[in-house]
Amino acid sequence: MKFEKKRASTKQEIPTASMPDIIFMLLLFFMVTTTLREVEVFVNYSLPEAKAIEKIENRRLISYIWVGQDSRIQINDSLVKMEEIQSIMYTKRQALPNVIVSLRIDKNTDMGYVTDIQQELRKAYCLRINYSANVKI
Amino acid sequence: MIKKKKLPEATIPTSSMADIAFLLLIFFLVATVIDVDSGIGMTLPEFIEDIETVEVPKDRMAAILINETGDVLLDGQPISLFQITATLKPRIQSKIELPKNKKLIVSLKTDRRTVYNAYIQALDQVKEAYFEVRDEYANSKYGQKFNDLDETSQNEVKEAVPIIISIAEPEKIK
Repeated sequence: MKFEKKRASTKQEIPTASMPDIIFMLLLFFMVTTTLREVEVFVNYSLPEAKAIEKIENRRLISYIWVGQDSRIQINDSLVKMEEIQSIMYTKRQALPNVIVSLRIDKNTDMGYVTDIQQELRKAYCLRINYSANVKI
Repeated sequence: MIKKKKLPEATIPTSSMADIAFLLLIFFLVATVIDVDSGIGMTLPEFIEDIETVEVPKDRMAAILINETGDVLLDGQPISLFQITATLKPRIQSKIELPKNKKLIVSLKTDRRTVYNAYIQALDQVKEAYFEVRDEYANSKYGQKFNDLDETSQNEVKEAVPIIISIAEPEKIK
């Protein structure tokens, strides 16, 4: 007895004509959401974890200060000394009056060091700060 | 009569368009950084040379001390780091009805040698307490969570439960 294979009589091809359109949509989405990395971070740091976290909505207002495991401080593209923070941040604040300073500090840093930075920020009148932290799950 | 030569249909080959789009897509996928900057927000006090000291009644203050080994002292009582939220919550709640100048002040003080992580954990606990109180207050008043409220009622809740955290300067090691 001969078995006959059942086969649907419809076409078996997936229509690919609209594929470029779909890809372009995805592409546009990523192009719009992309912010290219502006600065290279020289210091090594791992952020602390926290639960009660708020998001900063306005990215443009953020200015970063990194503090690494070896207690080096980086602002913008360069490593800076503690005494230089005040003048750098003061010029930043003049350009952007309601700047938010995001502190990306390594979790094993001494508090004394953090406070020294905060004192410099207070002198520079950058009063809005944000302790950067990862979400604790 | 001149017969028009039939021209072949003029088409742009579009079969490779998907490939080109894919390449671009992959580039942007790789280059994208989707990290929304998140963290614990604070406002520093202004820098004033001569500080006036204002006496604050004891029941208005919740003083948290963290030493260099990460032990926590809340109003003189040693507690664990994870109890801070539970201990502070009733104290914040009991002051909701009071006027603004009678609300709880949480003071967070560390040692110069305290690890930053311990400080953030404590600050996180304090913030958590405030957020929970805000949520509960919003729930009892509007039947919604704080984040789902509109701006005016959110401000009202903020007015009732303001976050007052004072960061004291760390003590020098003797």
